[in-house]
Parts: sequence; structure tokens; C-alpha cells
Amino acid sequence: MRRFFRRGRLDAERAREMQAHLDHAVDDLIAAGRTRDEALREARRRFGNPTAIREEIYRMNSVPVLETVVRDARYALRMLRKTPGFTLAAVVTLALGIGANAAVFSAVNALLFEPLPFPQPDRLAVLEHHIRSPKGGENRSGGSNGRMWEAVRDHTSKIDAAVVGGTSGVNLVADEGAAYVFQQRVSAGYFHVMGIPPMIGREFTPDEDRAGGNPVVVLNHDLWTRVFGGNPSIVGRPIRLRGEAYTVIGVMPADFPVTQRSSFQAGSAVDLWTPLKPSRTGEGSGTNFEVVVRLKDGISWAEGQNDVHGASSEAFVNVPEGGIAELELLPMRDSMTAEVRQPLLLLWGAVAIVLLIACVNVAGLLLARGATRTREIATRMALGSGRGAVIRQLLVESAILALLGGGLGLLVAWGVLTGIGSLGADVFGLWQPLVLNLRVLVVTIAVALGTSVVFGLIPAVQTSRLDVQAALAETGTRGVAGSSNRWPRRILVVSEVALGVILLVSAGLLIRTFIHLRDLAPGFDESNLITASVSMQDARYRDAAAVARLFDDSLARIRAIPGVQDAAAGLGMPYSRLLNDGIRRVDGPVIDKPEDTTCGNVNWVTPRFFETLGIPIREGRGIQAGDVTGAPLVTVVNDAFVARYYKDGQAIGRHIATEGRTLQIVGVVGNTQQGNSGCGGRVGPITQPPCIYVPVTQLSSGFLTIIHVWFEPSWVVRSSLPPASLVPQLRQAIQQINAELPIAQIKTIDDLRGQKLTSQRFMMWLVAGLGLIALVLAGVGLQGLIASSVNERTREIGIRLALGASARQAIAAVVMPGLILALVGVVIGAAVALWSARLLQSFVWGVTPADPLTFAGVLALLLAIAFAASVIPALRVLRLDPASTLRAE
Amino acid sequence: MTIKRKPAKPGSDLLQGTLDMLVLRTLRLGDAHGYTIARLIDQRSDAFLQVEQGSLYPALNRLEDRGWVDSYWATSENNRRARYYCLTPKGRRQLQLERERWAQLVRAIGLVMRPAEE
Repeated sequence: MRRFFRRGRLDAERAREMQAHLDHAVDDLIAAGRTRDEALREARRRFGNPTAIREEIYRMNSVPVLETVVRDARYALRMLRKTPGFTLAAVVTLALGIGANAAVFSAVNALLFEPLPFPQPDRLAVLEHHIRSPKGGENRSGGSNGRMWEAVRDHTSKIDAAVVGGTSGVNLVADEGAAYVFQQRVSAGYFHVMGIPPMIGREFTPDEDRAGGNPVVVLNHDLWTRVFGGNPSIVGRPIRLRGEAYTVIGVMPADFPVTQRSSFQAGSAVDLWTPLKPSRTGEGSGTNFEVVVRLKDGISWAEGQNDVHGASSEAFVNVPEGGIAELELLPMRDSMTAEVRQPLLLLWGAVAIVLLIACVNVAGLLLARGATRTREIATRMALGSGRGAVIRQLLVESAILALLGGGLGLLVAWGVLTGIGSLGADVFGLWQPLVLNLRVLVVTIAVALGTSVVFGLIPAVQTSRLDVQAALAETGTRGVAGSSNRWPRRILVVSEVALGVILLVSAGLLIRTFIHLRDLAPGFDESNLITASVSMQDARYRDAAAVARLFDDSLARIRAIPGVQDAAAGLGMPYSRLLNDGIRRVDGPVIDKPEDTTCGNVNWVTPRFFETLGIPIREGRGIQAGDVTGAPLVTVVNDAFVARYYKDGQAIGRHIATEGRTLQIVGVVGNTQQGNSGCGGRVGPITQPPCIYVPVTQLSSGFLTIIHVWFEPSWVVRSSLPPASLVPQLRQAIQQINAELPIAQIKTIDDLRGQKLTSQRFMMWLVAGLGLIALVLAGVGLQGLIASSVNERTREIGIRLALGASARQAIAAVVMPGLILALVGVVIGAAVALWSARLLQSFVWGVTPADPLTFAGVLALLLAIAFAASVIPALRVLRLDPASTLRAE
Repeated sequence: MTIKRKPAKPGSDLLQGTLDMLVLRTLRLGDAHGYTIARLIDQRSDAFLQVEQGSLYPALNRLEDRGWVDSYWATSENNRRARYYCLTPKGRRQLQLERERWAQLVRAIGLVMRPAEE
């Protein structure tokens, strides 16, 4: 092989060597008494033919396949240079398709293929529990409760395990004042399991990780540099966190990933870690933990799986007869990427369709080009080139187009990634930047070469299938195209239309979904509202009375701001997810048994909450100032709650029980849009669930303390003031109550809603953008395919006109075939789209996947494009002069 | 369309493998350039094996490709630049192999061709 590339130089060397041989022979012959001329002749005679020998050696050193490919490639480049218009169109089309693929693949690669950013990531897992009821209901979920965690901690031997709680915003008071930071609570051994130790100091000890343990904190690298100036002697330093004194014991290195996804759907990055102190009570009574596991050295996946399986009996109580409840391990990557897998695969499917359409377009271009190259190819075949050689030559040409397109496509991908990569990183919660790395390059080149076969093969076979004699004998491109060579073009038209339908239907469904979600009736007056949230996970607010006093005092000050119409506070705002808690009916037509609680949405509110938001009070009253500790326990429910639980529509005066207390329903209010709750059922990202509202002043300190770990209450203010002037006054009012209480986030209602729809919006824009590219490509492609078939038949139509056909008949004859093909494509595409739309089920809300409007719109659009593509060249037929057509024949 | 060169003279129509063996055997005597190799084969066979001298070069190319011989440029006894060939250790082993195979062949042919016994 080495000699193959050096054979040119080797040949020159060989020539010199042979010359030396002849010289030596001549020397000897002269020495033997011959004259120089005789010696020369005799030496040459004995040697044989030097040129023939050199050729033989040259052939020995060459690799035939490589040789022909190089020759084909040179020829192809020459041909492509001769037709720059064609080459540019094909390369740009392919670049769009391949570029979109490379961009999406780099995201797929980063999330699904690249190893997790921890040492030995394939040995990391999370704990799942698998429940099967005797009735056959089956459920696998990742959350763990305190009992499951203790079972794994105490009854396994082949794994290292740790447990992670939620991430929440907390108040940090450092030198320069109060800050709102994100805290993740983790157990002792968490950093050991993840495999990255603190770069300064140490992680939590088991002693610190139990009730009564010392309050200690590990800082994230970013917070350490941002707030503490990267002070290397930070360990031992006291800080105030959540209103208490904490001691810094460690700092994590900068490469410890703290994105949303790598910290288990925490909702945000992490600034610092505190001990979780897991137990079976409180937070640990529900499945609020995530258990992370690392297999010990030398332990196989199956052994680890068995190990946790063996702890199952300790993890569950009251497993019903015939049911199954067991612990399992799930690879950590699968757990981290479970939510993004589907959207990513959807995007991948969409770009694959764009690429296929690009292929069809280029195939169409190649077909048209093949038709004009008939004579060239016929000549080559007449000169002895085999059909295989012609196909090979055309495929090499395709491969070169594809590689040029792939190269340009990488540029496109790079542009796309720099343009929307950061947005996508937020939506997908990436733990590493999107880059065009080696794997992306290799896959892109493979895709490019693969596409060259897809788009190149049909035209190549078609072009090479010609009657050499006829092609050479003909002086032009006259005559009627045979029926057999119309099939490739027909297939292309049908597939182009069908592919367009599939992608555009998906895009249409996502657009309709987004519009549906955006336009949902909010259930309250959205104008002029500002919300400000605050972390109450704070030692200063463990007492219910302190919480009540904070909101009473601050609301009084806020309402006093000139221009503020009303103000209130609540645990959850519209569009946010509410607290899920067990609720049961204790009177009325249906009474639930104590063990039959249903999952309900609970919100604590202050007086004037409904009035401030403009939520209509249908019956009874809202929460009022008199609903305090000691007064009768009351609740207000919404319409959806009444509809779900009281078939007779009567709720006022009835009682429900939650958290061991019985509440009387004193009012019914309208529904509001809330975030998807964890109560199960298939609901969209925003929905109107059944809710109950309770006065904050009637909740116990213990309950408030637990729920404030998970939820941040908000003030909500209605004011005609512009936010720019309201917000500073709002801050001031709250600062006057407590100067060391940072406001977490200030948001408008639009912000709250937009937040819930981020991923929907992102997916919609991406798929709609791809749909637009597909539409343009399909439009251009159809135009080319149909127009060229009409052009080929120009002469035939001319003859028909000359023989007395009417213009209408002539046009129909040209237009109909294209339309029929488009119709076939539309039908096939619609059938596939109908089937594939089911894969979109989890992305589509408020419209059925078989949405008639979307389908009708897309079908009409593509038929219109096909019609336009057929009619424009057909109109040219009218201008034909029958006489000149006949003369040409 | 490979062009087959006509075989040289009758009697010297050497099998390809045999020529390789002869070249290897010749180089066993010491490094040599192409002309010397051809002359040595000629002399040592009492001028019976008159190799068409040019056909040596494809054989040398092949032997070098297989790593049996190595080559270098040097000044010859006639004070000309010439390309010298030498045996590699691998070539020595190959020569040994071919020598044995040749002996077997000669013996086998000898057995077949021995005079018929009355």
C-alpha cells in the first residue's frame, strides 16, 4: 500500500537503476572487444524492453480499486466544475440537510452517548422501585422514601449509596448582605459516590448527617469565587444560611457538574450543599429522595442489582398478597436523560426527514443532469466502458457532492449551535457544552456518504440504462420519453410530497399545541400583576406565627404604596405547581375511608388573595382576616374540585380532612391555570386541577416548615405602576420588615407562564423551523421534478396541439400526472403522519394527534405547491407553435 | 487488459518462484546490483539459464515488497552509481525454505523420471 502512493518516485528510481544495468553491460562488452555501437545493441537485446518492464512493475505497485476511484474522483470534480449552478444547488441543499443533522446529533451525542462527567460513570446508578399490585397495575419510579433509603444503606454490601434531597432557594447572609442561593441537600458520602471529592476541605461525615448534627456547608466553586473571592482558607468560616449559623467545611472543584439535569431535576444549578439528614419521618415519609449508587470495585451490574433486590423486603411494608414491591438499579444516565430522550429523538426524526427531502431534491437534480449527459455517457459506453463503471463513476460524483455538502453542513451546524445552542442547553439541562467533536464529525461524514448512495443510486442506474445506439444516433433530445424511465421521477415526487406531509403535520401539531396552551383562559385577571417570591426555609420563620406576622406587616406596607390597588400572598401562584397532599371527604353523598385519601392540590393564601388576582368567588366567601388560629378551620375549593368530588354540585358547608384535621368548605372559587401537579393522570404542562385553599394563619408550624423546604411563597401585587418604579418600592417595603430577607425572584405573570412553556416553545420553533426548511426544499424540488417532466413532453404536447387537441386538453394532459403523483404522495404521507403522530402524543395538548385542521392545512398546502409547479410550465405549452414543433420532428 | 510479455527463450522459461529463489541464492554470496545478479546466474548455470535480464527487475521489486531483500545505492566496481540489493534475515529464512522445497521437487521428479526397469 505504501508503494502505491510512492510509485511515481519509485518508477523514476527504477529507470535510473535499469540505465545503470545497461551501462555496466556496455562496459563489459566493450572490455570484451566490441565497438560501442555493437555493445549498446547487444546490451539492449539481452535486457529486453525497459518500458514494458517498468509498466509491469508500476502495475504491481498499484491497487486497482483505489486507482479507479482516484481517476473517477478527478473526472467527477472536472464535471462538477463545468456545471457550477448544479453543483452549488446540490451542495447547498445537502448542507442544509446534513448541517441540521450534525447540529441535532451533537445534542443527542452530548446527552445520550457521551459518558457522564463523573469518574467511571458506567458504574453509577440510581435506585428505582418497581411496584405491581395484585390487580396488575405496574409502576416504576425513581423517588425513594426514608425506609427504602435505610434498607439500601443497611442491607447491601456490594454498593456505595448516598441520598439526595431536593434543591431549593435559601437565604445566605454573608459579608456584603443577603443573597438568595440554591441549596441542594445531600447525605454523607454523596460526593464519594459521585466520585469527585471536594478540592478544599472534606465532605459531610455521618455524624453531621443526622438530626442534631453540626450545621455545615460545602460550597460550589462558582459561589466560592463569586461571593467569597476564592479565599483558600475558607474552611471553618461561619456563614448565616437559612437564618442559622453554618460552618464552611469544603469547596467543590469547578468541574463538578451542577446543571439542572446532573443534579436530578433540581430545577436550577446548585450553589451549595448542606447535609440532608434523611429519616423515615417528615420529608422521608414520602418518596422525596433520590438514592444514588456506585457499584463497588469488581462488582458486576448483575451482582449490584441482586444486592439491592435483596434489600427489598426491608424497604416496603404492607405489600399486598400477590403483589410485587422491589428495589432495582437504573443506570444513572438513563435516569438523568429520561425526560429529554423523547424530545431529542423527535428532533432527530425531524432532521432526518429534512435530510431525506434534501436527498430527494438532489436525486431530482441528478436525474435532470443525467438526461443532458446521455450523449457523454453513451459515448463512454460505446468506447467500451461497462455499465458498472458508469454507475461507479456517477456514484463517485454523488459522494463528492455529499462530502462537499457535508463540509458546508458542518459550518451550518456550527452556526446553529452557536445560535441556539445555549437555549437548547437550558431546555435540555446539559452538563457540558454542545460541540462538534470527533464523534459528531465521523457520524456526519458517514451520514454524508450514506446519503450519496440514497440520492445517487436511482439516478445512476437510470442514467446508465440507455440504448447506446439510439442515444448516439439521435441529434437532440427529441422523442417521447419511454414509460420505464419515468418511474424514478414519479417515485421522487411521491416521496417528496409524503416526507413533506409527515414533517409539516408534526410542526403543525406542535404549533397548534403551543397556541392552545398560550391561549388557555387563565381564570384570573392577568394584567398589572407582579409577583415576588421569598425563601421561608429559614430558622427565623419556623414558627407559623412569625410567617403570619411577616406577611401581615409586609402586605400592610405594600398596600400603602401609592398606585398599588391590592396585594396578597400565597404558597403557589398561578402557573406554578402546587403542593400535593392527601385529601378525603368526611361528609356528603360519598364518604372516603381513612385509607382512601386522594391526591389533591393544596395552596395556603392570605386574605384578599382571590380579590387581588381577580379569581371569581362563585359561592360563599374567600379567605378572610378572621380565619385565624382558634377560629373554626376553613377551606375554599375551586370549581374543578366541586366537579370532581361532589356530583350534586353542593360543596358549601361540607367537610374534608387533610393532615389529620377537618376543614369546612366556606367558599367556591373559579379555576386557575396551574403547573402540572404530581397527582398523576395525563395532563399538559399547564392545567386547571382541583384545588383547595387554606388560610396560612390556620396551619401548624411543623407543616409549614416541611412545605417551605419545597415551596417558596410569593407576594402578588396588582398595581398600575410600571414595574420599574414598583419593584424598588416593593423591595423597600419588605426590607423594612426584615433587612436580611432577600427577595428570591420578581416575575410578571407572563414570566411565570413563559417559564412553564419554555420547552414547548423551544420544540415548536425548532420543529417549525425544520418544517419551513422542508417546505422550501420540497417546493423547489417539486417545481424541478414536475417542470422537467413537463418540459420533456413539450414536443409531444405540440404534436397533440397540431393534431387538433384543445388548449384545455393539452394543459390537462401535462398538469394531471403531476397532480396525481402529488395526491398519491399526500395520501401516503397522511397515512404515515397519522401513525407517527401517536409518537407525538406526549407533546400534543388540546388538539388530537389526528387534528383535522392541521392535516387539512398541510395537505392543501402541498397540493397547492404541486399544482403551481405543474401549471407554470404547462402555461408555456399554450405558447407553443404547433408548426415549428412538427418541423423539429 | 494486461499485456503479457512473451516468454524469453525456450529453456530459460523460468517459473516465477524459481527466479525468486535464484536471486535469493545469488545474494547469499554477497550484496550485488542487478547486472551482477544477472551475470552471476548466467555464469553459475554454465550459461544455460540465460535470463532475459530485464525480467529480473519485477522479481526484485516483488522480493523487496515482501521484505526478503533490502536495497541501497552505492558506487559500483566500474565507478558507476548502482542500486545494490542485500538479503534480509527474513530473506535468508525464505531461501532456506525454498532450497528444501526445491530439493523435494528435484527428488520427486527424479523418481518419476528414472529409467524404466526391465
